[in-house]
Amino acid sequence: MLREIPNLEQPQATPDLHREDILSNLVVFCRLLREMGLHVTTGKLIDVCASLKHIQITQKQDFYCALRANLVSRYEELPIFDAAFRAFWEKAPQPEAVDDGCCGDGGEPGLSSEVGPLDLTSLEAAVEEDGPPEERLLPGYSPLEMLTQKDFSTFCEDEVATLRRLIARLAPKIATALSRRRKVDHRGAELDLRRSLRRSLRHGGDIVELMRRRRKVRKLKLVLLCDVSGSMDLYTRFLIQFIYALQNELRGVETFVFSTRLTRITQALRHRGMQQSLQELSRLVPQWSGGTNIGACLKSFNEEIGRGLVDGRTVVIIISDGWDRGETELLAEEMRRLHSKAHKLIWLNPLLGSPSYQPLCKGIRAALPYSDYFLPAHNLESLLDLGRTLQGLSRA
Amino acid sequence: MLDSIEEILESMRREKYITDRAMAVTIYLAYHLGKPLLLEGEAGVGKTEVGKVLARVMGTNLIRLQCYEGLDASHALYEWNYAKQILTIRLEEGGGRPREEVGRSLFSEEYIIKRPLLEAISSDSLVPPVLLIDEVDRSDEEFEAFLLEVLSDFQITIPEIGTLTAKQAPFVVVTSNRTRELHDALKRRCLYLWIPYPSFERELEIVLTKVPGIKETLAAQLCRFMQEVRRMDFYKRPGIAETLDWASALVLLGREELGRETVEETLGCVFKYYEDMRRFGGEQIASLLERVS
Repeated sequence: MLREIPNLEQPQATPDLHREDILSNLVVFCRLLREMGLHVTTGKLIDVCASLKHIQITQKQDFYCALRANLVSRYEELPIFDAAFRAFWEKAPQPEAVDDGCCGDGGEPGLSSEVGPLDLTSLEAAVEEDGPPEERLLPGYSPLEMLTQKDFSTFCEDEVATLRRLIARLAPKIATALSRRRKVDHRGAELDLRRSLRRSLRHGGDIVELMRRRRKVRKLKLVLLCDVSGSMDLYTRFLIQFIYALQNELRGVETFVFSTRLTRITQALRHRGMQQSLQELSRLVPQWSGGTNIGACLKSFNEEIGRGLVDGRTVVIIISDGWDRGETELLAEEMRRLHSKAHKLIWLNPLLGSPSYQPLCKGIRAALPYSDYFLPAHNLESLLDLGRTLQGLSRA
Repeated sequence: MLDSIEEILESMRREKYITDRAMAVTIYLAYHLGKPLLLEGEAGVGKTEVGKVLARVMGTNLIRLQCYEGLDASHALYEWNYAKQILTIRLEEGGGRPREEVGRSLFSEEYIIKRPLLEAISSDSLVPPVLLIDEVDRSDEEFEAFLLEVLSDFQITIPEIGTLTAKQAPFVVVTSNRTRELHDALKRRCLYLWIPYPSFERELEIVLTKVPGIKETLAAQLCRFMQEVRRMDFYKRPGIAETLDWASALVLLGREELGRETVEETLGCVFKYYEDMRRFGGEQIASLLERVS
């Protein structure tokens, strides 16, 4: 069924709504959604117009549903869309503007709380202004080069938002790199003729049994262990952002944080908004910025919490500066165990970014022999490099 | 058939699928615009069921493609029936037919095993079939790209036979449990609908419709219980499917109300993971029961 090109020449259902008004309003509304981070293209706008032909525009609920079905494509976008819709298409803001079910009642708890921190000033500006959208792009995109090289610990508040966006864009690239199969295989299950012929000897040369062969598909799984103790403070907020983005782009990622204890945060990060995830995390993780006992945490990972998670297909990434208050022998022993089970073990150290750094602290010295890669993690560029390393691993 | 939004709501209700106007509008638009319908939501909220119900409502076949990790084109599209081909070769060995002719006949429609996508495209039923692509998030990006190609033109080229084009495009319903983000291109192709957990009233309606013979008070207790459980933090939150299982189990056991013992005995209907069951201990059950009774 070919999609019809929307014919807006047809008269509307009611005389109150003029065709031009609706179209221009839709255009501005889409621009607004783009401002707020939704990926709305002209194609989608055309789809909306096509959809509107099939419904009664005056029916608010149907209008809402038609717009939503075309313009939203992710669960996270729903509350943003709802807020924008309410502010734009309704004169007086009402708490429950549309019927039950449209806004997902009975859905995830805390969904409505995500609408709160929305910046309504950009909403108003978008509605008032007539200028081209490009002018209203937030500053900070220009010196991109500088940004990728800048150490996380030196970022000031206004750069943080930009950095977060960049990190979020980085994660899908890494996810793609990791999910690529070992061998591109378009034919799937193959016939293994050699074995089939061999088998046929049992039956006097008649090929009765067909032996098949499947090309091995080797997908990497990721386990992330992130140090969130006091010494890592400056870097944690960005690394968590990175981990959050990665968690939601890729299947088969398990995430843990540790300081004096190890906590699994995979579920907490999954799919909620960043704000909610952070709230969830602060609830889950008892000591966010305490001291570190890497050895004990790795031991609890190896023996209990992470049991069964690490095998020959898993890449384990430990993000830590290595400052450790625990016993070094314990750390070394647990690193050895982990290394023997995992496909590869990568140690990311934010301190490696500093040119004068030397791995002198005993934690790092104990862990180094068991790490396959020892890489920096202090700025965007280092995360990009991590992506490339992982890509290389998945091809190996 | 799918002529108005109200009709969709009514006919789905007749097939015992209780839903809201938002879904009906989205289904209506998807059908009339010729776009696939993408249903996302947690496990057990009734996404797959939509495909099945729509097939019944439309009076047409349901062709189901269950996605899984490692699914590729051949499993979704077609495969040559090697066994039959080899047997034919053996049979023809003594006969007089020229080899080229035998060779050509081996690669005809007779020797193709049609998998769901080809089935959907080559369907010649009066009403286009419903093509349900279930749990597409379990497949990988490669397969998504391939799917996108197929969904764009509903055309498949089999090198030995030629190009097959669908006489009429099937109605495509794609579901995802959101274990990973789907590729943008696929999402843009579809009309999107998120199916949340139902409200108490809706869930009660569903239970009363699909589990005849259950006492309304028990059903209400059950639904309140489930609403509470979903607010708590579990590895795998139970969906409507679990509520219905539980309701049926209780009816079978002849229980008339939720007591602590009953809950402990039938907890397996609600939780399917050991850690969840372990976490939901005796006192938790008791306090929850107090809240819902």
